Amino acid sequence: MAQFLSANVERLLNHVIGLDPDSQARLKKLQGKSLQVRLRELPWPILLQFSQRIDLSIVEQPDDLVKASCMLELNIETLQQLRDSSKLTQLIQEQKLILVGDMYVAQSVSSLFQELHIDWEEELSQYVGDALAHQTFVGARSALHEAKTQIEAGRSKLSAQLLRADGLAVGATELAHFSDEVDQLRSASERLSARLLRLEMAAKVGH
Amino acid sequence: MSDHAPQTEQPHSENTPTTTHFGFKQVETQQKVALVKEVFQSVAAKYDIMNDLMSLGIHRLWKRYTIDCSGVRSGHKVLDLAGGTGDLSARFSRIVGESGKVILADINEAMLKVGRDKLRDLGIVSNVDYVQANAEELPFPDNTFDVITIAFGLRNVTDKDKALASMFRVLKPGGRLLVLEFSKPSNELLSKTYDLYSFHLLPKIGQLVANDADSYQYLAESIRMHPPQEELKAMMEHAGFEQTTYQNLTGGIVALHRGYKF
Repeated sequence: MAQFLSANVERLLNHVIGLDPDSQARLKKLQGKSLQVRLRELPWPILLQFSQRIDLSIVEQPDDLVKASCMLELNIETLQQLRDSSKLTQLIQEQKLILVGDMYVAQSVSSLFQELHIDWEEELSQYVGDALAHQTFVGARSALHEAKTQIEAGRSKLSAQLLRADGLAVGATELAHFSDEVDQLRSASERLSARLLRLEMAAKVGH
Repeated sequence: MSDHAPQTEQPHSENTPTTTHFGFKQVETQQKVALVKEVFQSVAAKYDIMNDLMSLGIHRLWKRYTIDCSGVRSGHKVLDLAGGTGDLSARFSRIVGESGKVILADINEAMLKVGRDKLRDLGIVSNVDYVQANAEELPFPDNTFDVITIAFGLRNVTDKDKALASMFRVLKPGGRLLVLEFSKPSNELLSKTYDLYSFHLLPKIGQLVANDADSYQYLAESIRMHPPQEELKAMMEHAGFEQTTYQNLTGGIVALHRGYKF
């Protein structure tokens, strides 16, 4: 089961990397290096070995563990934060990450995935042809733009309805005016309270 | 499923009668090499597709597990013995990198050629050498390799003791041998189902896909004639390997044996 999983993850990683022609240059920096990842939620460490592609191994027995260029120990939640390689030091300081070995390898792996630029239109064109892929993406962009416009328009319309037609809500000016009136009322009540206090004291002295 | 590289069969010593098994048949020892060669010459071209069909692709996971257990790293020198069509060599080649070396060895020329063509098509050229070699008499100096693997090949070797001794000789001290081979299922029901499959369905698939039922009948028979887990472990220990262990895969249909040279 572990091998089935690792084979599929490996296939996915290499496929995704293969979609970005520029990723080979970034992968080249990692050639001959290896990264061992110990996720605290998993029973076995994962070993990534880099060549012109990524080979992923699951190492079930300690004897089989290869000394990697870099070893990371962390939990799955922290894994997501590794996308930003500038956070490595911060994560180590917060004890969310243990890093042993060459930090450059961890940073390079992070940027390998972080800097992926995949031309999805080009990918789609391989299956459906250039024209249909282009039309699909133009259509999708247009639909997205239209959806945003509609949402914005709907929000404005609803706001106007609530403020003016139904009177269920107040506008910003009305709210400010109301706040000023409340302030004036508070000041007046404070003054009245002070006057009453003085009158009470004067009455006590008269007796 | 099948696999590769045949060699000769089990004579043991000069005094031993010169017959051995070829599947369930008894044949002259000298004859077996030619017979096994014939089988693999016949299946070489369709070897990969047949393996996938017969094992439903599981042979890839068994091989992958073997590599995961190999401890191979950059700079290592690896012997992929009976390497057939190069499934293990391809991955080893990437792992050992430019500073390492993989030797894909097989006694069968046709299998070796298929393997070489396949690896070249994958762009693997610089760190893999191809050697036609008999496992019983490996043409390498003593203490040469960090890791030796033999996947689905040992059962076709005539004199397995001699082959294991030869592997021990060429392995470096500290190196390990991994033997991936069909074995004896641990569950009786699985064993019966497996028998039914391999003796009835397997030759039919072989006939259908490779137009060669006989070769696949032999492959099924050769699996039954191969030493079971404990016996192979003892043979490895006899050859000098230490810390010898095995792990059953898929209920013992396949076992991965490992041993170290110290």
